Amino acid sequence: MESKATAGNSVRHGRLAAWAWSALLLAILAFLVIYPVMMLLLGTLTDSNPVTDGYAAMHLSLGNFFTVLTNPNVHEILGNSLLACAGGTVFAVLIGLFFAWIVVRTNTPWKGLIAATGMLPLFVPPLVAGVAWSILGSPKTGLINTFLAKAGIDWRINLYSMPGIIFVFGMYYAPYVYMFTASALRNMDPSLEEAAEISGAGPVRTLFTVTFPLILPAIISGMLLSFVVMLGIYGIPAVLGAPANISVLTTYIFALTSWAPPRYSTAAAVAMILMVVTGILVYLQQKVISGRSFTTVAGKAFRPRALNLGPWRFLTLGLAIVYLIIVVVLPTLALLVAAFRKFLFIRDIPSLFDAKQYSLLHFDRLFSNPATLTSIINTMKVGVITAMIGGVLAFAIGYTTVRSNAPGRRVIDMIATVPVAIPGLVIGVAYLWAWIGLPGGFYGTIWILALAFVARFLPDTVKALSTSLMQIHRELEEAAWICGRGTLSTIATIMLPLARPGVIAAMTLLFVLAIRELGSSLFLYSSSTMVMAVQLLGYYEGGNVSVTAAFSLVQMVILGVLIGITNRLSRGATGGVGRAG
Amino acid sequence: MSANLAIANLRKVFATGKPAVDDVSFTVEAGEIVVLLGPSGCGKTTTLRCVAGLEHPTDGTIHIGDTLVSAPARGLLVPPRARNVGMVFQSYAVWPHMTVRQNVAYPLKGRGLTSDEAARKVDGALDLVDLAQYADRPVVQLSGGQMQRVALARSMVYEPRLLLLDEPLSNLDAQLRLRLRDDLRRIIKAAGLTALYVTHDQLEAVVLGDRIGVMQNGKLLQMATPEQVYNRPADLFVASFTGASNFMAGKVKARDGEWGTVELAGGHTITAWFATGLAAGDAVTIAIRPENIRLEAAEAQNRYTVDVVSQRFQGVQTAYELQLGSTTIEALATGTTMRHPAGSSVTINIPPEICWAYPAA
Repeated sequence: MESKATAGNSVRHGRLAAWAWSALLLAILAFLVIYPVMMLLLGTLTDSNPVTDGYAAMHLSLGNFFTVLTNPNVHEILGNSLLACAGGTVFAVLIGLFFAWIVVRTNTPWKGLIAATGMLPLFVPPLVAGVAWSILGSPKTGLINTFLAKAGIDWRINLYSMPGIIFVFGMYYAPYVYMFTASALRNMDPSLEEAAEISGAGPVRTLFTVTFPLILPAIISGMLLSFVVMLGIYGIPAVLGAPANISVLTTYIFALTSWAPPRYSTAAAVAMILMVVTGILVYLQQKVISGRSFTTVAGKAFRPRALNLGPWRFLTLGLAIVYLIIVVVLPTLALLVAAFRKFLFIRDIPSLFDAKQYSLLHFDRLFSNPATLTSIINTMKVGVITAMIGGVLAFAIGYTTVRSNAPGRRVIDMIATVPVAIPGLVIGVAYLWAWIGLPGGFYGTIWILALAFVARFLPDTVKALSTSLMQIHRELEEAAWICGRGTLSTIATIMLPLARPGVIAAMTLLFVLAIRELGSSLFLYSSSTMVMAVQLLGYYEGGNVSVTAAFSLVQMVILGVLIGITNRLSRGATGGVGRAG
Repeated sequence: MSANLAIANLRKVFATGKPAVDDVSFTVEAGEIVVLLGPSGCGKTTTLRCVAGLEHPTDGTIHIGDTLVSAPARGLLVPPRARNVGMVFQSYAVWPHMTVRQNVAYPLKGRGLTSDEAARKVDGALDLVDLAQYADRPVVQLSGGQMQRVALARSMVYEPRLLLLDEPLSNLDAQLRLRLRDDLRRIIKAAGLTALYVTHDQLEAVVLGDRIGVMQNGKLLQMATPEQVYNRPADLFVASFTGASNFMAGKVKARDGEWGTVELAGGHTITAWFATGLAAGDAVTIAIRPENIRLEAAEAQNRYTVDVVSQRFQGVQTAYELQLGSTTIEALATGTTMRHPAGSSVTINIPPEICWAYPAA
């Protein structure tokens, strides 16, 4: 009888522990995600300043939000954003789809290499891409225009323009469309195309009447995703749009908070618009993915048919090389030339190859500014803190949602996914609203940056970890329970050791995402917590192109090394790195 | 140390659909091996997992020895770790980040043993499954059969009150399955363990089990010795699941206790063993295992001359299709020669004791 009573109690204790655990996770998620979003909502409904007035003095009214909504400036800026992203998306779809077809379905030479290097743009921070293209394509001093002038061609390009933004957007975010469409093409049953050809359709007609319609969900999905990412990007429109007075939602939000006095409530309202548009698009994308996109995909693996292009395969190879030159080679050369050349002015072509013109001068200047090293150290600190907190939290959430039957695990999973639909900049504004007016000095510390990053990248980390947890057979865990171990002991001795590669990969991924994040940092840094990405923006706005280029290269090298490590630790993490935009 | 297992009125209803386990009751005596047999989805694995504590039953009680481990009506549910049972999983579930010895030693931690005692027990368990020479290998270097034996050693090393085995051989190739099948019974019996074993393979059930429980749609249809299950299947499903493949429709002419005569659809009369609940005039289905039909026999009862429709050579046996009245039945004749070409006539005999009548389905 004694043992029965104990057993009964242990069940009740287990239930209680499960409830307490779920409550704890929900509290953490509420603190990280819901509270800042609620504060952002409050911010949109007020016209008070949380710094000077405090939170108590808010008078809430929908009127404030309507004032912003009806402001013609906001209309123009929203229009700019939609135009830039729509143009960029169309461009990205054309490029991405074309390369997906080349790599998966043709016998173009070196297609493995094309596929691998074609993904590189995803890893370039947008601000660095913007800087590189301003060096190449500014209307007066751009390297390309210099060359055109030397070559006697009476035509100039101007990337400080809406077409310039669209061009760079399309070039750099084509890999998103590529990722979705290439895998759809790879998974498509080739007999569907063979049936079309047996019915008398030529290869081109088959492509447009069978192949592309069948992978339409993948195309739309990649399209919506690249649109969403472009919408949240700050670096490219900041660099290319500002000289031409073209504002988009992201640059406008930041501008609002840097005016004197800062217009925090207007920024919150515009951020809310950005979040709503993003949310709708993400929702649509999820619907498309869960809809009919996998109906053509059978469980078994097909060997995709490779179309023999004959001599045309050298044309497709040529186009691929042109693309790689534009997105990889030219920007890298531009940064190298700008960073290592004493003077960016290029008198003639031979002087470009004159060794005497090159030195480490700009790197010396870069590192003689103590702010540079401080920002690198700060970035590393934030990265480590983010990876630690985020890794532990994501493991806890992943384990709870994938492996436990704790109450409320659906809600936990849902809240942890919410940040997918919140651009980095909006998270920044939300955290600003949530913390700036609170006493205790939390705002302006490294921790606020780390917490914002943890929240921002929670969906990516949870997804990565859940995947690796799901790959661990349930019976491995059950065997430990049967052997007499409790939940915590089982996690420590079985789940953690088995999931270790996944955990390490997720934490490294989080580290990489955190150190390249600009959007949310913009609103949360202080002079003592300056991070690399913000410092780079500072150098750019300070007007020294060569130091900016040098710092860009330093960041690219740091990122390259870290991404190399991440890829060694886990394959397939690129999607996560990409979303950071 | 080995305890008996008593399951009473066990029910398990998942969130959707009909019950996975529906009012199942049976006992396993201490030291006995009981096999639950049935097609996939019949509820046998769910029953086993309820005993392990991995699944939470909806209703009913489970006793292991004198301890009540599961009684949902009273809110009582002992977690798996406190039930002191051993379990061998379908996927082996040996931990790939450990060596053979670490796997087997794992359950001994926290049981108040000195390291010497623990090492002795591990060595004993490894000897029992004949893996002593592999003790310090990482388990990932072992073959499937060896992993299965690691899992077995791990589940027995702490002398559990009850051993549960969930289709432990289904992931092995046919040859290995045959060998391990015999080994398993020897090892379990040598350790004197009470065991509940789940499988969909009837041969495995016959070789391993002291008793077999046949399940379908969550219900336990029959619980009896292998010999009984094979020769007195409780109903048509048990008969067909254990290998009866000839079915003939007919009508009861007369019944005399366990036996009776049936008029078949084609006009023949056949004497058969009668399941419960049949009376004269009832529609019945006769079930016969093909290997029980004797060709060219001389018994008086149930003797017919039939036409051979076809013969198929199957190596050590030949399968014949025979026309009995309006039904085509299948018969097996052992031996490596084919003796009855299609079109010829043959006399067959169906002894009444292996001819079973059930209410027509």
